[in-house]
Amino acid sequence: MRKIILHVALLVVAVALVLSACGPAPLPKATGYTFGMLLVGPYNDQGWSQAHYEAGQYVEQKLGAKMVYIDKVNPADRPGTTASQLAEQLVSQGAKLVIFNSDDMKDEALKFAQAHPDIYVIGSSDDWTWKDGKNYKESPNQTDIMGRMEYGKMIAGCAAALTTQTGQIGYLGPLINDETRRLASSVYLGAKYCWTNYLKKDAKDLKFKVTWIGFWFNIPGVTSDPTQVADDFYNSGYDVVVSGIDTTEASKEAAKFAGQGKKVWAIPYDYVGACEAAPDVCLGVPYFNWGPAYAQVIAAAANGTFKSEFQWNGPDWKDINNKDTSAVGFVKGKALSADASATLDKFIAELAGGLNLWKGPINLQDGSPYLKDGEVATDQQIWYLPQLLQGMEGQSVQP
Amino acid sequence: MGVGNLPMNVELKHIHKHFGKVHANNDIVLNVPSGTIQGILGENGAGKSTLMKVLSGFIQADSGEILLDGHPVTIHSPADAIQHGIGMLHQDPLDFPPMRALDNFLLGHSGGLFPDRKAVARDFKRLAAQFDFSLDPDSYVDSLTVGERQQLEILRLLWLGARVLILDEPTTGISAIQKAKLFETLRKLTAQGMTVIFVSHKLEDVEVLCHTVAVLRAGKLVGEVKAPFQTKKLVELMFGKEISLGARQAAGPGRSVLELRGVAIEDIRLRMSDINLSVRGGEVIGLAGMEGSGQGPFIRACAGLMRTVGGRVLVNDRDLTGKSYHAFKRNGVSFLPASRLEEGLVPGLTLTEHFVLSEETKGLFIDREGGRKLAEDRISSFNIRGTPLSTVESLSGGNQQRALLALLQDPLSLILLEHPTRGLDIESTIYIWNKLKERCKQGAAIIFISSDLEEILQYSDRVLVFFSGKVSSPLDASKTTVEQLGNLIGGKGWESLKTEKAHG
Amino acid sequence: MVRSNRWVNLGFQLAALVLALLFTTLILLAAGAPPFDAYANILRGAFGSMINFTDVLAAWVPLLLTTAGLLITFAAGLWNIGVEGQIMLGAIFTTWVLRELQDTSMPPALIITLGILAGMIGGALWAMLAGALKTFGGVNEIFGGLGLNFVATALTLWLIFGPWKRPGVASMSGTVPFDDKLALPAFTGLRLSPWALGIAMIAIVIVYLLLQGTYFGLRLKAVGKNPKAAFLLGIPTWQYMMFSFVLCGLFAGAAGAMQVVAVYHRLIPSISSGYGYLGLMVAMLINYQALWAAPIAFFYAALNIGSIQLPIVLHLDSSLSGVLQGMLVLFVLLVEGARQRLMKKA
Repeated sequence: MRKIILHVALLVVAVALVLSACGPAPLPKATGYTFGMLLVGPYNDQGWSQAHYEAGQYVEQKLGAKMVYIDKVNPADRPGTTASQLAEQLVSQGAKLVIFNSDDMKDEALKFAQAHPDIYVIGSSDDWTWKDGKNYKESPNQTDIMGRMEYGKMIAGCAAALTTQTGQIGYLGPLINDETRRLASSVYLGAKYCWTNYLKKDAKDLKFKVTWIGFWFNIPGVTSDPTQVADDFYNSGYDVVVSGIDTTEASKEAAKFAGQGKKVWAIPYDYVGACEAAPDVCLGVPYFNWGPAYAQVIAAAANGTFKSEFQWNGPDWKDINNKDTSAVGFVKGKALSADASATLDKFIAELAGGLNLWKGPINLQDGSPYLKDGEVATDQQIWYLPQLLQGMEGQSVQP
Repeated sequence: MGVGNLPMNVELKHIHKHFGKVHANNDIVLNVPSGTIQGILGENGAGKSTLMKVLSGFIQADSGEILLDGHPVTIHSPADAIQHGIGMLHQDPLDFPPMRALDNFLLGHSGGLFPDRKAVARDFKRLAAQFDFSLDPDSYVDSLTVGERQQLEILRLLWLGARVLILDEPTTGISAIQKAKLFETLRKLTAQGMTVIFVSHKLEDVEVLCHTVAVLRAGKLVGEVKAPFQTKKLVELMFGKEISLGARQAAGPGRSVLELRGVAIEDIRLRMSDINLSVRGGEVIGLAGMEGSGQGPFIRACAGLMRTVGGRVLVNDRDLTGKSYHAFKRNGVSFLPASRLEEGLVPGLTLTEHFVLSEETKGLFIDREGGRKLAEDRISSFNIRGTPLSTVESLSGGNQQRALLALLQDPLSLILLEHPTRGLDIESTIYIWNKLKERCKQGAAIIFISSDLEEILQYSDRVLVFFSGKVSSPLDASKTTVEQLGNLIGGKGWESLKTEKAHG
Repeated sequence: MVRSNRWVNLGFQLAALVLALLFTTLILLAAGAPPFDAYANILRGAFGSMINFTDVLAAWVPLLLTTAGLLITFAAGLWNIGVEGQIMLGAIFTTWVLRELQDTSMPPALIITLGILAGMIGGALWAMLAGALKTFGGVNEIFGGLGLNFVATALTLWLIFGPWKRPGVASMSGTVPFDDKLALPAFTGLRLSPWALGIAMIAIVIVYLLLQGTYFGLRLKAVGKNPKAAFLLGIPTWQYMMFSFVLCGLFAGAAGAMQVVAVYHRLIPSISSGYGYLGLMVAMLINYQALWAAPIAFFYAALNIGSIQLPIVLHLDSSLSGVLQGMLVLFVLLVEGARQRLMKKA
């Protein structure tokens, strides 16, 4: 009996998901509803935080809700404060729901949610509410949201493979953890697929190297200098560098080398407008679009239908750049050739049609099997990827 | 440009200057005709420097008038002064950046953005030759001695068109030979019609050089005297009373407090080796030599402040070779440096704090009441003009030196001093030597450096002469004359010295 | 004379404050923002409620501890820029002890005490390194300190993403938070721990007494103002400098420990919160007078907490409080320079 109920419930959820994916189901309004947002960086950082800030504005406009925010929520910029403390300040300004926009505030988000059961919490890029995850914690007033950037990164990898003339792709990585491993590996999977399937080249001739700088941005004296790392890539034959860090050094260096007559390209990350840093060498940018998910959760909260869940939202395959429906997108850059662009569209269409690159046989970097032939990776296997994949050069774990 | 400018008469009328409550210049009237060397005499704090700063534009008088050749002028700045033909040579050897003599020469020159260096170098050499200065225009200023810097500065002022030359304590810190040359130069200049104003507290300098002497005391001009001078009269004017110079006391034979056996000392510039010396308690040893002849490293080696590279150093028969200053200090050695505010005292701390620091301490917390009593006691017994809460930098030079002496621990075996009376007036000088002699009577030996040969001969029992790394055997001060000593520090007459080893 | 000087000085300081406010107001006006609203909001944010006020006090604790330590190195004439790293090492040592002992049967109070002591030792060891670089390596403490700060940051990141990584995905959020029982007990419903507050106040009193009343403090001042003369007066100068580093490290380490046991309850990437640099500003602002450390550090903490309101209420960039803090130091230094010139002339 219980099993049946469970099945029915799952069916209902599935139908709801399908419905919401099929047509932009009109969201209920949330006029006058105040929500708060904590941004880890400046609201206008041309990156991670700005993407969230604009999503907040999107919600204001779509639902008629009101946003209160605090930016630069990190102990270096705000000595003596914690994110949960700042969230309380937002609540005192009337916020009924607070978005914690970064992994930095993971523990604070959970702490705040547990201390304030009457306030809803969205943890962006957290996984507390993922029942099947390793960190599951009961937190009924919290929903965690992440975008399936794996797809964006695959498309980026494909664009890189279609463009490289030396067959060498560099990946400028931040620090090493499960998330950054799976994103770097997604780039590789996309690149390898397009290299072998469309260009009909041997996978062995594709060199893919990951260099980690040690943090999300440059800290002189602590991290490797991303400018230097990008330089080394371009100087040693890597003509496309895909960036996994928050700042745009790779694009700037590409523009510099291009200015000297070299044929090099770059793919930035995070923010829809990131190509603007160096438009002439930009092949495109994979980006997050948090607006639709935020709008859906906030509308539910305002109308009393909030439920705790974990959302790992993919692109809207009908139009990955649809502002109202797609959680992850890819904007092509000026430097992408017409041929490559057409092939890239073909790749996107294949993905939309159900192509899954996280399918065996795939080995981990050290040669141990990860997915058997024909085996499809579960979400857990992807989320908690233990190593880089076979065929990728670079460190798999923090030394 | 250069020498040969028109002569100029200087008149000061009713100059007043206040600093807070202090009336530093009180109605000064002075007339200096061209072609004379006018002495300004007075003890420290009498108002000499203030008056000269007024004349050279560093500060403005509260009231009064300055007339040049009968025309009233207002002097706003030193640059202004030199425009009017007044050049001032400062008391302290000015700290110049490490630049070449010629570049320094060009400073303050207003002609054009790109000076004609060749022409200037010609002027420089011509002027230098005229006064028999052996200055290399390409040498670096910081490598010059105080005396050479002075020569450079005189040339520069003349080249800029000075017709009145003010010299503030110019004989401080220069050798006897340089002093003789300086005096010769000043006489030459006045013979050509220049006006020279010579500020000093040293009676003997003023007596041999000046045509007229104006004496200041407590801000007032108390008298003017023409050459020839009577020392007694000048002293009376300066201090308002008679002061007798302390006489030398013969030292009794004490035990050996310092023994150098075959000591070798090395610094960047010179090396001295095989120095043997035995110093007995109660004895005073003077170290004579031109600046940089080795007496500095020598005295510091005796204090453990400079490591010896050979031989042995014994204090009270204890071998302290290679030990630190603090080990020497524990064995009764004390060193008082020449630069009082740079090395000797701590600017920003009060006299009380200094005395507290110099004492053995008991417990963790400062005994404030005891510190104040101690300070009052020392202040009165050393006749320091200041309060227990005065910071040391607010004291005059003489009082700083007294404070330094007051910091000496008790008892002591050996006191090492660099230029103990440099820049001090005669009263302070006498006072300080009296205090030092008291220490000798209590059994301490004294070794001191001085550039004042008369001071060396007056107070020492024995004298060591230094010349470019050579050390003479000890000379009996009572059998040595200023001329002999002057020759020796200039490198003459060394052959006639016996090469005997130092004896105790 | 001395007394009147003090009032004159105070007048100059007030002038600096007014100038800094004026300048910040000009910046606000230029940005098209209402200055008085901004100041009113900062005040309200800092003192508007019991929670806000106690938050200010909670931020005051580590800042005051850091400033207290810096007063000692400043007294010895040393620019201990490495204080930032000393806070980090304090936090690391505290975290380490808490991690090792959290699963034992030891009473939490003992674990916390040991953790704080370990933090102090950690800070002192790191400071000693800066001191050794200066004394034996001839490395200026500013450059040595900066270098050690970088190393400390790298060490913190390495620990969080390496050996001390949380189960699952290593996170920017830091190591696994400690159990509530390992937190310094706070007032109910507030974030302020009376224990932390007490430790900070005791610290500043100790430093005040040390510098004002002891032979040690006097000798340290002598070393700071003129090491050559201090040496000739018989003070072992390098040992004193070294000792001042160690003492400062103890206080900075305690600040780091507070960050762990009273504020964040784990090790996070920017655990030092920039208190080292803020402490340097406070110390400069008070002209190294221990007496003023508590009120001025409080003022800075109030600015930090109060300025949170700016983006919320006025949509203003909250770095305004940083501008005001920086302006204050700048103008105090400028005014001090002007004062000295004027005094010399008078």
